[in-house]
Amino acid sequence: MVVLRAGLCPGLTEEMIQVLRANNIRTVVDFVSSDLEDVAQSCSLSYKALVAVRRVLLAQFSAFPTNGADLYEELKSSTAILPTGSPSLDQLLDTGLYTGEVTELAGAPGSGKTQVCLSIAASVSLGLRQHVFFLDSTGGFTASRLYQILQARVEDKEEQLEAMQRVQVVRVFDVYEMLRALHEVRDCLSQQVESSTGPLKAVLIDSVSAVLSPLLGGRQSEGVAIMMQLARELKALAKEFSVAVVVTNQVTKDSSTGALKSALGRSWSFVPNTRVLLQGRASPWEDSTVPRTACLAKSPRQPTGMQVQLDIGSDDVQEQRPVTPTP
Amino acid sequence: MQRDVGSLPLSPALRARLLSAGFQTAQELLETGPCGLSKEIGISKEEALEALQVVRQECGCDAAKTAGGSGTARKCTALELLEEEQAQGFIITFCSALDNILGGGVQLTKITEICGAPGVGKTQLCMQLAVDVQIPECFGGVAGEAVFIDTEGSFMVDRVADIAAACVQHCQLIAEAHQEEDHLKALETFSLESILSHIYYFRCRDYIELLAQVYLLPDFISEHSKVRLVVIDGIAFPFRHDFEDLSLRTRLLNGLAQQLIIIANDHKSAVVLTNQMTTRFGQSQSMLVPALGESWGHAATVRVIFHWDNTQRLATLYKSPSQKESTIPYNITVSISFGMEIFHLVRSSNCEIMNWSYSCSVSIEVVSQDFTYILQPQGFRDVQPPPLTQNAEGTEMNPRKRPRREEEK
Repeated sequence: MVVLRAGLCPGLTEEMIQVLRANNIRTVVDFVSSDLEDVAQSCSLSYKALVAVRRVLLAQFSAFPTNGADLYEELKSSTAILPTGSPSLDQLLDTGLYTGEVTELAGAPGSGKTQVCLSIAASVSLGLRQHVFFLDSTGGFTASRLYQILQARVEDKEEQLEAMQRVQVVRVFDVYEMLRALHEVRDCLSQQVESSTGPLKAVLIDSVSAVLSPLLGGRQSEGVAIMMQLARELKALAKEFSVAVVVTNQVTKDSSTGALKSALGRSWSFVPNTRVLLQGRASPWEDSTVPRTACLAKSPRQPTGMQVQLDIGSDDVQEQRPVTPTP
Repeated sequence: MQRDVGSLPLSPALRARLLSAGFQTAQELLETGPCGLSKEIGISKEEALEALQVVRQECGCDAAKTAGGSGTARKCTALELLEEEQAQGFIITFCSALDNILGGGVQLTKITEICGAPGVGKTQLCMQLAVDVQIPECFGGVAGEAVFIDTEGSFMVDRVADIAAACVQHCQLIAEAHQEEDHLKALETFSLESILSHIYYFRCRDYIELLAQVYLLPDFISEHSKVRLVVIDGIAFPFRHDFEDLSLRTRLLNGLAQQLIIIANDHKSAVVLTNQMTTRFGQSQSMLVPALGESWGHAATVRVIFHWDNTQRLATLYKSPSQKESTIPYNITVSISFGMEIFHLVRSSNCEIMNWSYSCSVSIEVVSQDFTYILQPQGFRDVQPPPLTQNAEGTEMNPRKRPRREEEK
């Protein structure tokens, strides 16, 4: 929806725009979708010039084709696979988190979403020495817990503190603040101004549903628009700067089958490339020794339905037993 | 400045108009100016000016923040947060077992939800916390004030007075034992009256009042900057009836949760909620679960469930970002003896079992950060054992059932 402006393309002059405006053609979309013959008549402009302008505009605003071989080359050079800090979860995700993709962790309260996020933050900042951006919208980020995880992995205090410094935390409590924070990250990345920020490889959002669900429900449509805006922002961030984006989400019960599925409705369900369902105890009364499981609900690479066990112990998120894939 | 128009906090109708007029970024809006904008999308100049102010605020904030100013969303490293976390204290519960599983007490800047059946001691703990938050810093407290929002009308001021008196008395005992100057000085102002006058009590009768109160709370707390604890006793009660549209309820609750997190985070205070339990019917059996549904479970950062096992009270830490989940059954045995208690901490495979030998005047060892001291929290000098309704912090006695005694302080 770009406004028609002089200099947008050759042949589109100021006079022409004035005339078009008078006929309620303001944007490129208006122009391209209108019947040029009618426009030529009503605006008394040359049909030939209009067709030429349309052709240029279409070329200018359409996607640029690339071939598979180029894409593959680019993929090889830009994609990194980040470890999550848990071997079993890595296995579930086909060796780890892929940059350029949005991964969703969904789970009931207390199923370990925040813990997995902290574990990812720890392993990326400690193991890979890359920066991590943590957007906390629930107040669940606990630095002492992160420090605990780091302490369990490395003994050198200097390294622990450095790793802590590579994790940047922003607390945002509504969706507009979140969009603004994401936008700032994008600005930072595109300008590459501050060398101190260093290369950013992972953006963790805990959780998207906390900021979005106050806008959804009832008969509200604005929530969906802003949700899609956020989705677009996340996808663009992931793709353009080859960053791994991890979001956490709540779960709801499917009304027909009673099975758990991730919240925020159908339109959100298309957003993440990979979705992992975390499951803990079904109720507070169950034995707390029941291990948590992670189940792959959506993935472009691995068969869905794979299940592994996660142990969120006192010091780390760890693998407990070998993988038990279920068909 | 290249921010998408769609991501600006404008009204949906206005946003739609801007988008259909072909505006894409905030930059374009600012360049157009209010007059141009009102002409372009057919709104009044005042509206256009207002919209531009919002846009400028959004972008102006960006500029201020990159210059190191303090915006609402502050960017900091985990290391800075760690230091902050270590510096801030906890609100002790006067029950060391509970403090232990919570990692030292009720945490500031977090939402803690206490779920439990009626009579298990939720309100008692809330009242206890409203007093404990005011313990002066030299005694290991946070020297704050409390906001108490009551939806069920279960706040009993006489009970609070009892707890407060006990707390003051306990601090006096510490001061006597240590004879330190700052202790004595702190005690000059720490009295029953000061405790009671620093509990700000709000009674909300329905969910509209509750929502209004919570949304007005930031202003109140800005005026009373020492508030370190916000208690909402009975968050579920107003939301469990009068709702036909359940998705509206979810939406309101989610908004409420975010508002509470903002309060907790911005004012460095703890938010404590109590929630009821409800029965969920499964395929084979039914079980008690916290009320308000699954999505509300995400609202609180820390969730503790109080429940009964026959005559034993159990506290289960069900959700916490920093502590391992565990259940502590505590055996509360009431003994008539007066004085020091033996305090066992038995670590079994997964849960800690607390054995307390309990007296009318309880002494509990409380570990708060690096500060260990002996507490003498309750002032019940009754010689007979109180009715067997001791709760977690060991303070519960229904004052309405208990015969009042003259010698009681």
